[in-house]
Amino acid sequence: MQEIIIGIGVTALAGALAAVAGAAEDTESNIGSQGDPNSQVQLAPQMGYTHRIYNKAVSGEPPAYTLWVTLACGVAWAFLMMNVNAVLAIIFGTVLATFVQGIYATTAYLGRTASLSKFGQPVFIDVLKSVTTVTMGHAFVAIFTTVTACYLMSTMLHHPFALPLLGIVWGLALGAAGSATGNPYYGKERQYQNQKFGAGVPISASGNIVRYAEAGQRSSIDNGFFTAKLGGPASGLCFGLIVFFELWRTVLFEQVAGGWGAVIVGVIIILVFMIIDRYVEKWARKNYGPYTAEA
Amino acid sequence: MSAIAAKPGANAGAFQPVASVIAIILAIIFIGVAYFLGNSGILAGGAMLPAQTLVGIIVGAALIAFGVHFVPVGGAPAAMGQSPGIATGVAMLATGAGLAGLFGGAWAASLGFGVALAGGAIGGGLMMAITCLMVNISYVYGMGIPAASGKVEKDPITGDSQAAYKSQGTEGHGLPFISYVGGVIGGLFGGLGGTLIYIELLDFYNASFPALNIAGEGASALAVGLAGIFAIGMFLVIAVLSAYNITGTIEGPHDPKFKRFPRAIVAAICASGICGLVALLVVAIL
Repeated sequence: MQEIIIGIGVTALAGALAAVAGAAEDTESNIGSQGDPNSQVQLAPQMGYTHRIYNKAVSGEPPAYTLWVTLACGVAWAFLMMNVNAVLAIIFGTVLATFVQGIYATTAYLGRTASLSKFGQPVFIDVLKSVTTVTMGHAFVAIFTTVTACYLMSTMLHHPFALPLLGIVWGLALGAAGSATGNPYYGKERQYQNQKFGAGVPISASGNIVRYAEAGQRSSIDNGFFTAKLGGPASGLCFGLIVFFELWRTVLFEQVAGGWGAVIVGVIIILVFMIIDRYVEKWARKNYGPYTAEA
Repeated sequence: MSAIAAKPGANAGAFQPVASVIAIILAIIFIGVAYFLGNSGILAGGAMLPAQTLVGIIVGAALIAFGVHFVPVGGAPAAMGQSPGIATGVAMLATGAGLAGLFGGAWAASLGFGVALAGGAIGGGLMMAITCLMVNISYVYGMGIPAASGKVEKDPITGDSQAAYKSQGTEGHGLPFISYVGGVIGGLFGGLGGTLIYIELLDFYNASFPALNIAGEGASALAVGLAGIFAIGMFLVIAVLSAYNITGTIEGPHDPKFKRFPRAIVAAICASGICGLVALLVVAIL
């Protein structure tokens, strides 16, 4: 009984940490412009629209976060093997991973923007100096919370995987969940703010991103407050729900029916989410209505 | 000969019979090599265990390749509401779901083969269910866009009309219900295949470590770690291979591109054969 109570407490804590991780991940990838919408940031100078937006997408978010979280987990694990205090070990690992992320962001911006030089896109050193540290700060939060959640799963919930292996699994899941939820919001709502709300961007408008903002040219730092409005919390909710339900159904129901209890509960949760999704879809169709009269 | 002079009418997604037969023959050769290695004692565990493990790995890889084709991926256009699907890459999204499933399956590995496989499948399906729901919420509440597909007139499951809800100048947006269900099924197959590969390798390593005089607490941790890393690596190989077959974006099981999946399954059988053989031979150099 006590095992289950501790397990539920750890599950709740891991779910909350994962929610923060998801929000910080999406904010970091929007400030650094790393998700799929970065294809527009790369395309804009080629269509003649130069800009001052950061350009960090050497890889997508899932493999990049896998690298950083696994690095942090690996270093933390090494320190834990030397009997260093757990919190200190995780912080050391996260600091190292954040420096690697900073190097990644710097080389990515310099390289990708330099490759656009023949279209007249300049490399702005002040953009490099101001935005890189902001992304590093958000990345620190995302990596630290994910590594802590992995540490809890490994130590308190006795998952068979070692800490670095858990880092690969959850780093990739963090990047995938945050990327899937936050990318459309950044791409359509921020980069194409001048398009009419409530419709997709027509293909003819590709590359014509918003480059002039509230005061002067748009800077990527302002994507932070924008992401915090919906994309960040939605991504946090997504990853938090994933981690929470994955742990919750196992901790509570694994002893029921020889392990099949967790499977049955998982099927029920999937069906519940399917019903919620169908409700959201019908709500949209009813409240927004068709674009053209239905044939 | 230039690309322009290539045979006209060659379909990008056409099934290649000669290459497929060669791939299947190669896979059978690999299984034969595994049987030979087990029989001659180079790999411990008895005559049948290496071959059995390799067959399990190949089946798992085929399941992963099939599952990846169900996942609705829109890529960069989806991030701007120009095409339906999730705005991430195919390989990474499928891998994320499969790894979340592997996490659950590895946890249940001690409870039995069937339970572990089911747990892995459900883990992958659950991650895709939550992700697809949040994607739809992002489109509907964050961008004010209803879900619509550009490839079909009516949703095959719900019968909703699609053309009137598609904004002008785009190919569709969001996740119609068939895409959502496709995503969940893709996660189920991905988690199932990944967990199968992991369990097969884990059983093989646990059986062959005692013969090498590696035993005790460290041995089981080593077996788990090795099996986990090889399962993740093979998952990535198969996911990227299937992503090439899809050529970037797919709307789900209703997309005409979905019919290309036999090619990916045959390629996965051959690729996982050689990768599995390497995973088995790792024990021989320890």
